[in-house]
This record gives sequence, C-alpha cells and structure tokens, in this order.
Amino acid sequence: MLLANRSLRVALPFVVAVLALGVGWALSVGLSGYVVYLAISMVTATIAILGLGIVTGSAGIIALCQLTFGAIGAWIVSWLNVSHAPGGFIVWLVAGGIGAGVAGVIIGLPALRLRGVNLAVVTLGFAAAFDVLLVQTQFPGQADGAQIERPAMFSSDRQFFFFAIIVLVICALGVFLLQRSRIGSSWKAVAFSERGTAAVGQSVSAAKLSAFAVSAALGGVSGGLLAGQVGIPYASSFTPIQSLALYILAIMSGAYLIDMAIFGGILWVLVPELLKRWGVPQDWGFVVFGVLGIQALTSGSNLGEAIRSGIRKRAKRRSAGAADPGSVTTSVLDVFAVPEAEEPIPADAPPVLEVRGLGVQFGALKALDDVSLRVRPRSIMGLIGPNGAGKSTFVDAVSGFLPQHTGAVELDGADISRLSPVSRARRGLRRTFQQDRVPPQLTVEAYVRFVARRALDRDELADALAFLGCPPPEEQLANVDVGTRRLIEVAAAVLSGPRVLILDEPAAGLSHEEHLQFGQRLTRIPSRFDTAIVIIEHDLDLVRTVCTELTVLDFGRVLAQGEAGSVLEDPAVVAAYMGDAEVTQ
Amino acid sequence: MSELQLSGTTVSRGAGPVVSGVDLVLREGEILALVGPNGAGKTSLLESVSGVIPHSAGDISVDGRSMAKWGRVQRARAGIAHIEQGRAIFPSLTVRENLLLTAKNDAGVQEVLASFPELEKRIDAQSALLSGGEQQMVVLARAFASKPRFLLIDEMSLGLAPVVFMRLLPLIQQIASTGVGVLLVEQFTHLALGIADEAMVLASGRVSHAQGPAQALEEDPELLRRAYLGG
Amino acid sequence: MNGGALLQGALSGLAAGGVYAVFAVTLTLMSRLVRVVNFAQAATGMFAAFISVWFASKLGIPVWLATIAGVVVGALLSALIGWIAATWLAEADLSTRSAMTVAPFLLLMSLSYIMFGNKPQPFAPIFDGAAFSVAGVVVSWVTVVTVSLAILVALAAAIVLRKTTIGTKLRALSDRPTTAELIGIASKPLSIGVWAVTGAVSAVTVLIIAPTQSNDAVSLSMLIIPAAAAALLGGFKRLDLAVVGGLLLGLVGGMVAQVSELTLVRSFVPLVFIVVLLLWSQRKAVWDAAR
Repeated sequence: MLLANRSLRVALPFVVAVLALGVGWALSVGLSGYVVYLAISMVTATIAILGLGIVTGSAGIIALCQLTFGAIGAWIVSWLNVSHAPGGFIVWLVAGGIGAGVAGVIIGLPALRLRGVNLAVVTLGFAAAFDVLLVQTQFPGQADGAQIERPAMFSSDRQFFFFAIIVLVICALGVFLLQRSRIGSSWKAVAFSERGTAAVGQSVSAAKLSAFAVSAALGGVSGGLLAGQVGIPYASSFTPIQSLALYILAIMSGAYLIDMAIFGGILWVLVPELLKRWGVPQDWGFVVFGVLGIQALTSGSNLGEAIRSGIRKRAKRRSAGAADPGSVTTSVLDVFAVPEAEEPIPADAPPVLEVRGLGVQFGALKALDDVSLRVRPRSIMGLIGPNGAGKSTFVDAVSGFLPQHTGAVELDGADISRLSPVSRARRGLRRTFQQDRVPPQLTVEAYVRFVARRALDRDELADALAFLGCPPPEEQLANVDVGTRRLIEVAAAVLSGPRVLILDEPAAGLSHEEHLQFGQRLTRIPSRFDTAIVIIEHDLDLVRTVCTELTVLDFGRVLAQGEAGSVLEDPAVVAAYMGDAEVTQ
Repeated sequence: MSELQLSGTTVSRGAGPVVSGVDLVLREGEILALVGPNGAGKTSLLESVSGVIPHSAGDISVDGRSMAKWGRVQRARAGIAHIEQGRAIFPSLTVRENLLLTAKNDAGVQEVLASFPELEKRIDAQSALLSGGEQQMVVLARAFASKPRFLLIDEMSLGLAPVVFMRLLPLIQQIASTGVGVLLVEQFTHLALGIADEAMVLASGRVSHAQGPAQALEEDPELLRRAYLGG
Repeated sequence: MNGGALLQGALSGLAAGGVYAVFAVTLTLMSRLVRVVNFAQAATGMFAAFISVWFASKLGIPVWLATIAGVVVGALLSALIGWIAATWLAEADLSTRSAMTVAPFLLLMSLSYIMFGNKPQPFAPIFDGAAFSVAGVVVSWVTVVTVSLAILVALAAAIVLRKTTIGTKLRALSDRPTTAELIGIASKPLSIGVWAVTGAVSAVTVLIIAPTQSNDAVSLSMLIIPAAAAALLGGFKRLDLAVVGGLLLGLVGGMVAQVSELTLVRSFVPLVFIVVLLLWSQRKAVWDAAR
C-alpha cells in the first residue's frame, strides 16, 4: 500500500494538471464572451501572484514590484511583435519570461546584502522609477496602434483563454515541482534563517537569486500574456499601486500555496467586478484589500494556512486513537544495536578534527584565545564552561561563520580555516544551533532530505527519526514544538553522514527525563554513522553519561581538558562553575 | 509586612516548562539569593515576576494581591524593579537622564547621588562611555531612585571583573537596608551567599534546594556542589 | 545647456529637496523612536491635504481653518495606524511593522481615488511667487519655506529629544523598549504620539508644496521613495544627514532635469541613491542574524 501511495504522490500533480486542462477547455467553450475575457485577466493575475508567492511566501522577501516584471515581459513581447521576430507569440512569451527573470536577478543582487524593509524600499523604488519611464517611453508599437499577434491556433478570446490556461498549468506544475525539490526547500530555509541555510551546505546566494529569477520570470510571463490579451499594453496596467495590491493579496491568501494563488487571482478580478455590478466604484476593491491586508499583516496568518490547519485538525480528530506511534521505537532501537560491531578505531588514529590556537577578537574583547583541541574519530567530546565562556563563539569560528578567526582548523588532516561555512558543511563538518533554525514551512521529510544532501532511503529516514524520538516524516514542522525541532535538526544532520557533528545545546528544550533519554541515544550515533560528535551542554549529568572527553572553556581560554571523569573532579572546574575561579585566587 | 510571593509558579517557553512549581517568599529588607547552574531557569523566573514573559501556572502576588493580569508598567508602578542581565542602561542617555527617568526631578537625583557618590563626577557623561562597573552602578542607582519595594537583580556581574563586582555588593546591601526586598540571581555563588539572608537553588527548572537560611548552603560545600554539578 | 541653466535647475530642485528632507526627517524619527519605516507616511500627508482642500472647496470652510482641519486629520490618521502597530505588533521586528504599513498606503491611495478622483486637486497656494534672486537665478518662496521647514522640523525634533522629559523617555524607549517598560514608562501612548506628530508634519508639508507641483495622489504618495533615499544617508538614525540627503537629492534631481540626454533615467536617481547607500551601509551584513 505504501508503494502505491508513493507512486500516487509522483503521478498526482500530473493528473491534476491534465484535469485542469480539461476544465479549462470546457470553460473556454462554455463561458460567455464577457466572462472569458475576465477569466483571461484572472489567469494572468494568478501567474503573477504565483511568482510573488515564491519571494514573499517561500523566501520571505518584501517585494513590491511584481507588475514591473510584468511590464518588462509585456515590453519584450511588444518589441518582438513590432520587430516581427521569428517564432511567433509563444517564443516571444518565453523570451519575455526570460527577460523578466534576468531583471529579477539584477534586482535580486542587492538582496544578497539587503533584507526586510531595506529591500522593500529598493523594490518600491524600482517600481516607481520604471513606471515613470514607461509612461514617458510607452510600449513599442503603442503609438502606432500595432496589435500584438496572438498565436494562430489561439486567436479568438475563447481560444486565447484556453492558451492562457495551458500556460498557467505549465507554470503551476513547474512551481509545484520546484517547491517540492531541493530548490524549493532552500527558499523556505533561507526565509527562516540564512545562517541555518549556509550551515547545511546550501549557498544562500543561489537560494535568493533563484527565488528572484523564478518569481520575476513568472511576472514576465504574466505581463506577456496580458499583452496578448489586450493587444496593445499600456503603462496603466502595471502601476506601482497595483504591485502593492498584488503584494497584499499574495500575503493575505498565502500565495506560496498554488491553490491560494489561484484563489488570489480570482479575488483580483472578482472583487472589482462584483463592486461594479453593485454600482460601487471599483477603487473600493483596493480599499478592501487594504483592510484585509492590515488584518493579515498584523496577525501574521494567511487564509491558505488557516484552511489547511483546519483540515488537518479535522483529519487528526478522525484518526485519533487509530495508530500507536510508540510501538516503532523499540524495534528500531534493536535494529540500531547491530551495526555497532564495526572495527574499533586504533588508539593512534589521527584526529578527525583538529583545532590549533584558535583565537577570535571582538573589538577589545578576546572572545577566544589560543584554544586547541583534537577530536578522535567516533568519539564524543563535551565542550562545557560557564556563561560567556566562548562556547558558541567556538562553534561559530570552527563552522566558518567568523572568517576573521586566527589559528587553524583541520578536518581529516586538510586545512579548512579559509573555507566558507557552506564548503565546510559540504566537506562533512556540520553544526546545529542553539536557536531554532528549522524552517517551519517544510515537512519533516523535506527538511531532512534538504539537510542530508544525499539520496536517502525512506525507511532509513523514518528509522533515524524514530530512533531520536522525532515525529514521523510526513509531519509538518510548524506543528512540532521547538524542543522537538531541535532533535529533528540533530537527526537530519546525522543523516548527512558528517565526519564531525557539533551540537550546540541540542536538548535545551526538553524535559529532564527526555534529556537523559536523548543522551543515551546520542552515544550510539558515532559507531552507527561513523561520526565524531562535539557537544555543548549545560546539564552535567548528561555530559557525565555521554562524553568520553571534555574541554572546559572559561573566559575564552581552555581551563581543563581530558578524560571526562577526571576533568569534572578538577577543583578549578568546580570553582569556575560556581563563579569562584578568580575570587579565590 | 509586605511580601512578594511565588506559589507553584511555572514558566513555559516554546517547548514546555523552563521553570516548574517554584515557591518562594521575598520579604521587605531581605536579600534572597537564587543560585543554580546555567540554564536552570533563573532568568525566566525573574522575567515572569516583572512581566517580561507571562507565567503559565501558579501565582505571583504582592501583599496577597495576584499580579497575574498586570502588565509590565503596572508591576513597575507597584514597586517591582527588575535589573535585567547585561547592561540595562540607556546608552544614548547621560547618567543624569538615566536617573531622571525614575527620580522624576533634580532633588530626587541629588538624593540618590548621596547613596552613590561615585556617580557624582560622571553625572553628565553619556552612559555608553562609562566603564562596565560604573554602568551597573547607574542601573542600581536608577532602580533605587524609583523607590522600589522589591528589586530583582539578574547577574549584575556578567562581564565584570570580580573585584569590580565586589564594589557593587555593599550598594546592594545598602538598598536592602532601606527596606527593599532583593531577589539576587548571581553566578558568583559564594559572593551572593555572603550578602544574602536566605538562599535557594534552582536546577533544571526545579527547586533543588528550598528557600532557607543562606548560611546553611554556604557552610555545606558538598550540598552546594551536588545542587550544581549533579552526580 | 550651460552653467546658468544647471544652477537654475539645481535651485528649482531644491524646493523638492526640502520636501524630501522633511519626509526624511519624519521617517528617521519614526524608525528611531517607534521601529518602523512608514511606507504610508507621504500617503497620509496626501490624504489629509486632499481632505483639507475638500473642506475648503466643497464645504466652503475658510482656507486657514481647512488647513488646520487637514493637519488634525493627518495626525489622527497616522495615530490610528500607530495604534494598530502598537496594539498588535508591539513585539514584532522592524520589517514586519513596516510591511504592515504597505496596507494603509494602498488603502489611503484608493480611498483618495474614490473620494477625490485621480485628477490633481485645486490647491489654493499658501506661498506663491519668487522670494529673491541670486546671480540672475530665481529662488521661489516655496523653496525657502520647504528648506526652512526641513531644518526647523529637524531642529525642533532634536531639541525635544534632548531637552524635554518626554524626549528623554522616547530616547530610552528607542534604546531599550523592554527596560523602559520595566521602569514604568508606558510605551503605547508615547509611540502613538510620535505617529500623530509625524502625521501632522506630513500633512503640513503636502499642504505647502501641493499647489506648486504635480499634486495627484500617486506623485504625492510616492514622495516616500526619495524621502527614504534621503533618510538612508543618515542610516535612518541621524536627522542632520537626513536633511542633507534630501537637499542633495533635490539638487541632483534638478540638475539632471536640465540635461535632456538624461530625461529617461531621471526617475532612477533616487533608486540609484538608495541602492548605493544601502549596499555601502550593509556591506558587512553578510548574515541575517548577529549569531
């Protein structure tokens, strides 16, 4: 049954696409002429919102110039039409999409450094400036009244509507597949945390620029279609205020979900049309959007998520009591007991991670000073010390987030001190964060596959999750509490098969009992996955049971180092923990 | 006699409780040292008392009146002063302006300066330019100027050399001697126990040593070591 | 094109520069004191000014009274947006709060279409004609007034922040909002007050300049772009640099307008200004979070 489920999962989007084409064809035949024309507008708006959903919803960017990309697409189509370029409308439309995509990358370039409100100012500025330019120069052929030539097969409004539906289905299918792929995961990850994205070996620039490119390209296609619909495009179809309205529509509907983008497209056309029927000025439509937008932006929720969580709750209530999730765990533990009989590591094996004379300076403050340590293969080293001792700074430096650090970091004998966090992660040096860096928009499975960066058998994935006490793969991360998310972060990092895994207080959100259980499971990871672990932990009971070796930091320096038991008995360590280190001296 | 009382206070953050079922009573003029290892939940507990974060179960009351529904400002006006971790000065304000925020007028500032004479010569300096020890002194003086009934102090010593911190201790004692109840969270355990009347230990969000005379903990190193390091 | 034309262009651009500067000062104040980049700032001024014109032309209220009424409307509108931000987004970060203001921006623009149409409004000029001329170049009253207004608002804000109790409290709130509340400073009324004041200033500004420039809803609302560019020169923190940025942008814009080869790229001047300043100021912001 599971197998059938999986092939259904692959086939379903294509089935839906074919069905949508069928419905589109039926509508193109059945609807009245007036409604067909409106429906084309609905389709073009949907494609633009679909694109907007990628940057605003998935990649978390405030983009206020979507219709400017539409104008670029329309401009290219008009220009190719006027210059009688070969290939006809379909080729021009593709060219419009590509042109807008290139513009999107250019606008996206500042986004590598700019975020949030700064980027909003840039995009709005771009929209305003381009609008003025467009009013001045007009579209190619606008002055001569040169009609854009529709494709021969789709020349009537009805036929052109069906053509628009085909384009929409292709775009929606493409976006759906992208959202489900690594690229889609990288958009959602970069929206939640750039550091978290880089730490799992995903380039932040690639994620942001691809989001901008795809989003703008869809904007361009939308504009190109609109040009084909109206024959002669005008600047008034692409004003900044409409871009603002589109942004708000995308936010309040949750346009990164494809059905909600379609819903947004329908609203875009339906609200003004209904107002017109009721004899209300159409501008009230944007007032309505404005009010709904305030509601959505203050509550931080959107319609799509609200509907989905409602459905999920219902489904959960129905299936409650049907399955017992606890039963998996024991059997999995038994499976995990077997492979630990791998050949032992010789005592003189070279260290897998060696840090020599690591130093980090923040202004006048020496956050780390001459810290050295060696981590043996398949060992677990504890890194402990009082508040402000420099533990997290150590993790940041070793994982590449503090490029100004001095000293050397070697992974498997190779110097990685100059490498970026992304390449360090790809070489097998992984870390987790003290903060929650698990993007809530993903499912557990999508997240784990994104982090692992390798082909994973589904059973392997489910086993590893169950082993660490994580929820099943199909669970949505948004429904998982923060403490458990941190465990999933650990499980995903483990599944990437790293040489060294650095865990920064991985069990902070767990109860004391869960804490100890986590510790016991942790001890079995090195042999099972051939991984060495460095763990920062403040619960010394856990440290005692899990770690073979300890390094104690205090005021940025190594206070003690060696076998766990003896280090914890060291009076200097006890004193440091009581805050007495310097008082008693 | 007025008192600040926590009964079965539980504080949750994200995943679940970070502090569960804490009972304590802070009386006027008394110093209660709250000690325990990193991550024990001391900061969260203080934050729930001053209203930075809500508590999720149990009660927090002053003179028998529950503060559960009060906001931060209302609690501040009821006499709860909270010195947060780090440097809680307003860096762009001068020392005088920092003090004026709670002292209301120049006479009030003069009154406070009598207890904090070291600040006199820096009174018109921008507080960002002061040394760490001086900044903490400003924070103490500002809290004192608000004439609080209860003062919550969260790790004033963070980032200070111990000798500098030791200069602040008499000031805390002095504030307590005017009838202010002080709840002192401190990483320098022995220094804190040294000036405290009572003490309790928090570990992993639970009370691992209930409120009692500070002397008992101070004189029993093994008890303290176990509360901190487990095992 | 000659030197004289460039100078004339620069000086005529100065009037616009003064407007950019006033809005830049209000944006800077808002960003510093209530953690928001208010996209609806200019739109609020626009709407209030249109209401004022409507009072005067449709209800026959005397211009001076209609002007005051418009300023009050600006203050109230802005306070309403501020109340929304302070009630529901009290703990939200600057980006979320700013994104919220996009919605009232859209709302005010559409409302103004509905109530006043999309044609320029019949503003009665408050300041008209030439004030004086320098080396044969005419300086209009509007230039004098807007530049003075910018400097005046910046100075007044600086004095209030430095010398008054409310100013001290506002600076404390801007330094450490939570700490300020913990010592008993009620943040909500103070923040809403800041919103109201900047709303009133925006209304005054639009009322002064609207008679002399293209005064349709879009042009006026979009003043937010050059204003943001100017505020960026001071990093949304320094009032003096915000004023300088506004005036500079006006001068450059005025000069570019004189060069016919540059007509098409003229509208991109603020955008280039914005991108360059931002990239320079954020060059070290490699990551989204400090840790």
